[in-house]
Amino acid sequence: MSYEVMVGNKAAATACKLARVQVASAFPITPQTTITEYLSEMYANGEWDFDFVNVEGELSSQVVVQGASRIGARVFTCTSGPGLLYMHHPMQTTGSGRLPVVMAVVHRGYKGMQPDHSDLMSQEWTGWGHWYVEHAQEVLDTILMAYKVAEDPRIRIPIAVGYDGYVLSYTAEPVEIPDQALVDEWLPKNKAIPEVLPDKVSPASFGRGFGGERDPQVPWKEHHDAILKIEEVHREVMDSFEKTFGRRYGNAMIEPYMMEDADVAIVAMGTIAGTCKAAVEKMQKEGKKVGLIKLRSYIPFPVKDFQEWGKKLDALAIVDRSICPGKGGPVYQRMRDTLYDLKEKDRPMTLQFHAGLGGKEVRIHDFEMIGDKTLKAVKSKKVEEPVTWV
Amino acid sequence: MIEIRLHGRGGQGAVTASRILATAAYEEGQYSQAIPMYGTERRGAPLTAFVRIDNQRVRERMLVHEPDISIVLDPLIAKQQAVVDSLKAGGIVLLNTALKPEEVKLGGDFKVATIDATTIALETLGRPITNTAILGAFVKITGALKLESIEKAIKKYFPGRLGDMNIAAVRKSYEAVKGPIQAVVKSAPKEEKMDLNVGGYGVLKDVSSWRVFTPEIDMDKCIGCKSCWIFCPETAIQWDEAKKKPSIEYRKCKGCGVCVNECPVKAIEMVRVEA
Repeated sequence: MSYEVMVGNKAAATACKLARVQVASAFPITPQTTITEYLSEMYANGEWDFDFVNVEGELSSQVVVQGASRIGARVFTCTSGPGLLYMHHPMQTTGSGRLPVVMAVVHRGYKGMQPDHSDLMSQEWTGWGHWYVEHAQEVLDTILMAYKVAEDPRIRIPIAVGYDGYVLSYTAEPVEIPDQALVDEWLPKNKAIPEVLPDKVSPASFGRGFGGERDPQVPWKEHHDAILKIEEVHREVMDSFEKTFGRRYGNAMIEPYMMEDADVAIVAMGTIAGTCKAAVEKMQKEGKKVGLIKLRSYIPFPVKDFQEWGKKLDALAIVDRSICPGKGGPVYQRMRDTLYDLKEKDRPMTLQFHAGLGGKEVRIHDFEMIGDKTLKAVKSKKVEEPVTWV
Repeated sequence: MIEIRLHGRGGQGAVTASRILATAAYEEGQYSQAIPMYGTERRGAPLTAFVRIDNQRVRERMLVHEPDISIVLDPLIAKQQAVVDSLKAGGIVLLNTALKPEEVKLGGDFKVATIDATTIALETLGRPITNTAILGAFVKITGALKLESIEKAIKKYFPGRLGDMNIAAVRKSYEAVKGPIQAVVKSAPKEEKMDLNVGGYGVLKDVSSWRVFTPEIDMDKCIGCKSCWIFCPETAIQWDEAKKKPSIEYRKCKGCGVCVNECPVKAIEMVRVEA
């Protein structure tokens, strides 16, 4: 094992190298650009055998990796904000085609260049797994795990790994780089599954109706069920990752932090969850029973985990770094429908917070405010302000 | 946890300095984080970067708002009171300046150390890139990191001869740093604050603070060929059609030196400003 003080984007490129990605294709867009630069540099240095396909836009980059994935190559692409929107159409086909593409989404909001989660959130209907990570080490580790999950024969679903632009993509921090031999052993080569080759195609795997008497809803159901299955495989992969490399991130779906003694939990994703860890430490020192549940997998959503936590907790403060305008915070709404299945007496209070949109900095004292507000709601048994813009 | 803020200009290597510090910390078994303040940086423009050093993985991911140490790579920026803004009480400011700590005009409850890093950089590297030259001084006055870890880190960023030159700069600054002493001026002077993280386009704003060197035209040597006027990227050079001579509008000049390179008769010279 070696280490390097590297930025988040280099951690992503390094993960590609360790995974021995065979085909990468991407169109540069800030703040993702330096991933393509690192990959181009690695290609020029001949660091491993792969093809880097230059394209004229994100739509093409997604189609290039789709084609390569269909014949069994391990593939990588990456983008940010508007670039991801431009990919929206082919992303559907990647999902429907059950192609194990792994994509880094370096968050950039739509109302300016600074990060929020509105880019990846707006792709929730594309039929991918959607994960969110906190720091550079987690970027590297999670991309490796994403290949292992996506390429699992039980899954075959593309996975997007989202991380915040600038404050993570360009921040340098020590990253432990696992030995290549260990990674090779842990992550064997991807194999094409015959069902997706055009001559043996199964209608469901192409995600299209093929006429005749076949139920046109079947491809949708198969696709949905496969994504739900990610949860089980993701947990397995996290266990084997820890066994091999000695690091883990919660149970893969969520990473509870200082929850042993907590009455209320803040739910946050990405870099701000890191800041929340520091805030939670401070609050618990002051005797406030506030913990953090870092959400790592938005799709599929850790329904069982939150139902269990929901029973134990008095309140959940859900921090959304995005909003569907006119509809609300996606994590908050998903959480509310998850908790509805609990008996009324077990159901915790829920408070909605919007923080970090448009790249607004979220500081430790912001999380203290969120914690205080949530504790106050529990004490007074009343949520006075259901939605707070931090 | 130690929190550090670096002030410099695009081209002086503040971001690299932040990464060298982060790498050196990890060499000593500590965790670290180096955050650049991302804007529309360019050569000469004031910018900031931040470093955190801790004995566990740094969790908070926000800019450093109350640094323990402020490091200033640039002698003109070092004159700005803003470099000690929100510095923790009893914190240290390390300035690149030829002044002694007693002569520094910044005011407040903090300690001041000074090092003439520009001269050291010019002597050892031949260029006014002060990022490594100031790190030796940092080690000496803070004791936060060891000199050999900084040198190890520098070798990672600058292999070969360039690394040796930078290490020489580090050692010189370790020896030559003055202070720290308690700031002589007790409270912040009232003055107009300067923006130490300038974005936006040069033509639209006063960029005179970006200069480390100022071009001066020797009108006797000038042959009126207009090369400087054509090539100035900031349209800072005006053409006087009556006299057939150029003049420099210094408000627009960021001190890039393109005019000096273009002048066929070497009529323009870059002069060091700070003295």
